[in-house]
Amino acid sequence: MILINYIVAICLIALGLYVMCAKRELIKIVIGMGIMDYGINLLIVSIGFHEDATAPIYTLSDIINGNLPLFVDPIPQALTLTSIVIGACVDAMALSLVIMLKRRYDTTDADEIRRLKG
Amino acid sequence: MSNFYVHFPVISVMGLFLAAFLVEIFGSKNKYVRYIISLIACLAAAAMTFYLIVPVFLNGEVISYWMGAWAPEGGYAFGIGYEIDGLGLFFGLLTALTFLMSVIFSWRYMSRDGHLGHYYTLFLMLAGSVLGLVFTGDVFNLFIMIEIMTFASVALTAFRHKKHPEALEGAFKYLVLGSIGSSMTLLGVALLYLTTHTLNMAQITALISSQGMQPTTLLAFGTMLAGLAVKSFVVPFHTPAADAYATAPASVSTLFSGMVNKAGIYGIIRLTWILFRAMDKEALMLLLSILGALTMFIGVTMALAQHDFKRLLAFHSISQIGYVLMAVGLGTNLGLYGGLFHAMNHTLFKGLLFLTAGAVYYATGTTNLDKLGGLAKRMPYTTVCFLAGAFAISGIPPFNGFASKWIIYQAAYEKALLSGNIVYLIITVVALLVSVMTLASFIKVTSAVFFGQTPASLERTGEVPFSMQLPMFIMSALCLAAGLFYNKTVGIFVNPAVNAATDPAKYVDTMMGDGYAFSHGIAPQPVTFTSVSIWDPVFWLILFVIVTCAVTLVAMSGARERGPISLPEKTADDKHATFFGGEKSLHSHVGGSDLFWGFKKDLKGYFRVMDDLHSGRTNDYALWVVLGTALITLFTFIFMS
Repeated sequence: MILINYIVAICLIALGLYVMCAKRELIKIVIGMGIMDYGINLLIVSIGFHEDATAPIYTLSDIINGNLPLFVDPIPQALTLTSIVIGACVDAMALSLVIMLKRRYDTTDADEIRRLKG
Repeated sequence: MSNFYVHFPVISVMGLFLAAFLVEIFGSKNKYVRYIISLIACLAAAAMTFYLIVPVFLNGEVISYWMGAWAPEGGYAFGIGYEIDGLGLFFGLLTALTFLMSVIFSWRYMSRDGHLGHYYTLFLMLAGSVLGLVFTGDVFNLFIMIEIMTFASVALTAFRHKKHPEALEGAFKYLVLGSIGSSMTLLGVALLYLTTHTLNMAQITALISSQGMQPTTLLAFGTMLAGLAVKSFVVPFHTPAADAYATAPASVSTLFSGMVNKAGIYGIIRLTWILFRAMDKEALMLLLSILGALTMFIGVTMALAQHDFKRLLAFHSISQIGYVLMAVGLGTNLGLYGGLFHAMNHTLFKGLLFLTAGAVYYATGTTNLDKLGGLAKRMPYTTVCFLAGAFAISGIPPFNGFASKWIIYQAAYEKALLSGNIVYLIITVVALLVSVMTLASFIKVTSAVFFGQTPASLERTGEVPFSMQLPMFIMSALCLAAGLFYNKTVGIFVNPAVNAATDPAKYVDTMMGDGYAFSHGIAPQPVTFTSVSIWDPVFWLILFVIVTCAVTLVAMSGARERGPISLPEKTADDKHATFFGGEKSLHSHVGGSDLFWGFKKDLKGYFRVMDDLHSGRTNDYALWVVLGTALITLFTFIFMS
């Protein structure tokens, strides 16, 4: 059922945003960013999905004769792959910043990492 | 292969990315090798971008380039295309100028830092991503470029973390909030694909024009608008900007205010004016203008309260972006002229000001306004350049800021007359007030940094080397030239961009084949450029009345507090006490960096609220972004369907 995918995707995005707004621990904020990414990835991959469809493999004669089989849209899958890679990079970068913040501020609590304000 | 220059956009973007990796491979040891690679890549990219002025601006062409020659088949675009119209090239030129100036400045400015190989790698990635962002004709490619831009910006923000640990904090906030923005953009792109089954901007423009606004399209519009607003640091998404601009090296701050937030503005213009052709909707105009007005007001008032040179400039940067967004959001051609012209001027003068801040940091080792003073004698050239930038941003004729702000006032006022909506009149007054406060704030900086007493620690300060002065001179000269020859500047640079935004028929046709736009209901509607008059006496008179009203309003607002004077209660800070006499007041010194303490004292309620809102907590800022996104999306749903 495709509807459940959309619902879960939106729930994941909302959950990720909630974690980023509510959790003070920096690691948890990074996890929140990850959850939001997964939600969006699920949404994109669901967009290309068709029930009872095949892989997008067809020949020139299929196009000429006009009897293209019903196939799954490959573009969203390509987008998802790119998005997953980017998400992994974001997480890696955020975690490395957290490590350095822990070294310099000696805490991972967002309430105490606020020298820049006002 | 009719024209060789169709390859220029892709070569310039690829060249910058390629050079980024070459620097990492060959330049990690030798400083000359890495700098020459960076300089050549930047020069080549800038030269190619500037060359495109001839075909795009002067001959009115739209350049399209399909990666791997995957041209559209049967009315569907499969490949990734680059497409450069007037709007894209306009922002491309700003980008090219900014990174060229910054790379020249970096040679000496960054020479005292370690790991410079990484610096130039990230620098070139940032330059390439923004250039790719404005040249691309594919929404997913736009998202990728936004992500590379955010990555490089975050890493560059944290570059001086050894000396300034706050840089890490600024970078982390920027990354968290930036990733929300990017995710929202990606969500919008995905939803857009759901309704149009294409990622090509030209085809999306045509299809949305023929399909009309469906609920999914609206949701895509709302999330993309919010995502791009995060990238251009519009209130309430402005919080990471102040932290990142203030803690990054000055050459990088120049890039941020010169091209990174311009990229966001470019995205918003592309989205609202071209992709969705939504600028005929009153509700959207109201949303964008109000967001812009809020941005410029909050930005400038926050700037008044700052004690750090670069943080102050950062808030001014936010404030000026508010002008651009407000003017663009008016939905009129005059507003678009003013907004784009101001975007260009903002790149010039704000880039210049950040460079002077960098020069001050290079010479003195601090940007704290309380510790600086009297540098005018010791750094005369920097002072002159700073004054040029300060005059330009405050809108003093004949500098460029005056010309563009004047057009913006006219546009806002014209809009108020046309629509009869009182909100636009208030926005006009706010725009004038913000300009006054900008001037006030720069008087404060000038007196705190360049005039007044020199602290003993700065006695031996000298002028910065010539390679740092050169970009400042060029920027100052451009500020003056764009102001003196405003009609030429608007005619050559801004006019094609406005035409591209208001008339996307050619944009669509170049990409998808002739007649595609017309068959989807986009008729060509060229705008004729009427010379924008700065010295129209009628407008002078009307504006004079408005200014008088604004001044009266401000003067009246404090009146009710003037009761009988009572002795103030004891406060911790003596400079806020009323001076009736006594010895203590002699020692209560108001420094140049606190010139407007009386103003702050009068509005202390407002400043306390603002201080609470800018709490510095990542969670609070994330909450702002989520709330802003939700509000923008809700607004588009309720009022634009």
